[in-house]
Amino acid sequence: MNQAFQKIRIFFLVLGMLFASSTLFASDEVKTITTNDDSEIDIRIFSATGNKLLIGFACDQGSSVAEEKTSQALAKDGIEVWMPDMLSAYMLPNVRSSLSEIPTDGLIKIIEEAKKTKKKIYLVASGPDTELILRAVADWEKTHGSSDNLLGGAILMFPRLNKTKPEPGKAPVYQDAVGKTKSPLIVLEGERTPNRWGVGHLTNSLKKGGSTVYAKLIPDVRGYFFKRNDPNVPEDLVTSQMSGLIKASLFFLGKAHK
Amino acid sequence: MKTTMKDLIKNILKSATLASMLLMTSHALQAAELKKVEKNIATPALKLESLKGATLDLKDEIGKVVLVQFWATYCTPCRVEMPSMNNLIKKLEAEKVPFKIIAVNMGESKEEVQRFVDEVKPEFTILMDTTGENTQAWNVFAAPSNFVIDTKGKIRYTLYGGVEWDSEEITKAIKDLAAEKGS
Repeated sequence: MNQAFQKIRIFFLVLGMLFASSTLFASDEVKTITTNDDSEIDIRIFSATGNKLLIGFACDQGSSVAEEKTSQALAKDGIEVWMPDMLSAYMLPNVRSSLSEIPTDGLIKIIEEAKKTKKKIYLVASGPDTELILRAVADWEKTHGSSDNLLGGAILMFPRLNKTKPEPGKAPVYQDAVGKTKSPLIVLEGERTPNRWGVGHLTNSLKKGGSTVYAKLIPDVRGYFFKRNDPNVPEDLVTSQMSGLIKASLFFLGKAHK
Repeated sequence: MKTTMKDLIKNILKSATLASMLLMTSHALQAAELKKVEKNIATPALKLESLKGATLDLKDEIGKVVLVQFWATYCTPCRVEMPSMNNLIKKLEAEKVPFKIIAVNMGESKEEVQRFVDEVKPEFTILMDTTGENTQAWNVFAAPSNFVIDTKGKIRYTLYGGVEWDSEEITKAIKDLAAEKGS
């Protein structure tokens, strides 16, 4: 009798743990898209009823806790979030050099799929991942022109778009994707990062393609603050309110994209 | 079976990522090196108040080899390399080489910089570029950004990133510049 009770207790304990882990960071569904070269991209979808859809990257699926919480918060506020796992799809390690190897056709297919929802589509990425979204937006514009107004722009969080190592005394040399898009862009940079001194230069370079570009410094935070193991108080605060930061960014992009 | 293979590959890739990150960290201070300035680039003006309150003008340092470094308290390589900068000063002082280090803080408050100085104890002049005007005039977009200026006030080398400043190679390069004085 005692043994049976113990078994039931363990069963409910395991059930409880499974339930907890599945609801804590759960997305509503996982959609799989197959690219032209037969790569399969898993997209976690955080559904929402509003008219905006944000495609963002969590290349390290499973450990991107801050991004998931943000996605859930955005979905609650009516902004649908799609999180494609690009690196796993292309079997690439999570290092900077991998990103430039990702072809744009996968992301373009995701945008095509997102268009079916009739929502206004925005993209968001951080660090070197921003190169991929700039490249994809430029390729999208080449094939869709200005007739397609469902792509509303992109949020570049702490963009790291240098092609080469910075050289003191010289202007940065950017990746080829910089200055090739017309879509509205917003650059977010931490105030406590040396890159803040390059924000003006980068903004002007991004504008060369015809984009309206906004740039905002986030006070008292370092780059990648939402992924840090040693966050300070302002960084914790901004991480917990990341969805607000993204909503504000979407407001600016919306102003530029009529 | 397909899922198992995918997971296996994911795990291998994760390990490779971790290994490459560890490798990059361990070589953080060895990767950078002095870069000769091939074209004659004008040395921007640099006149700022130091952390201690005195005004320093780079023009007044003609006759010395000067290392101008742009740095910030939140820059990890800056913190790591400062003891080697202290060592470089001692090494060159012992050999009577005319040399000075000027470290320009990029837009932080006096309180923040003082806390850092109390902890890391740099033995060279810290200038405060509170508005970031000088940082921009010197085309500095990353930290640490270094300029080695010869005894006539010309920028001869640049270096981005952390480095062991008291290495044989760098010490020799500075001594060679100082020796050009009479030529």
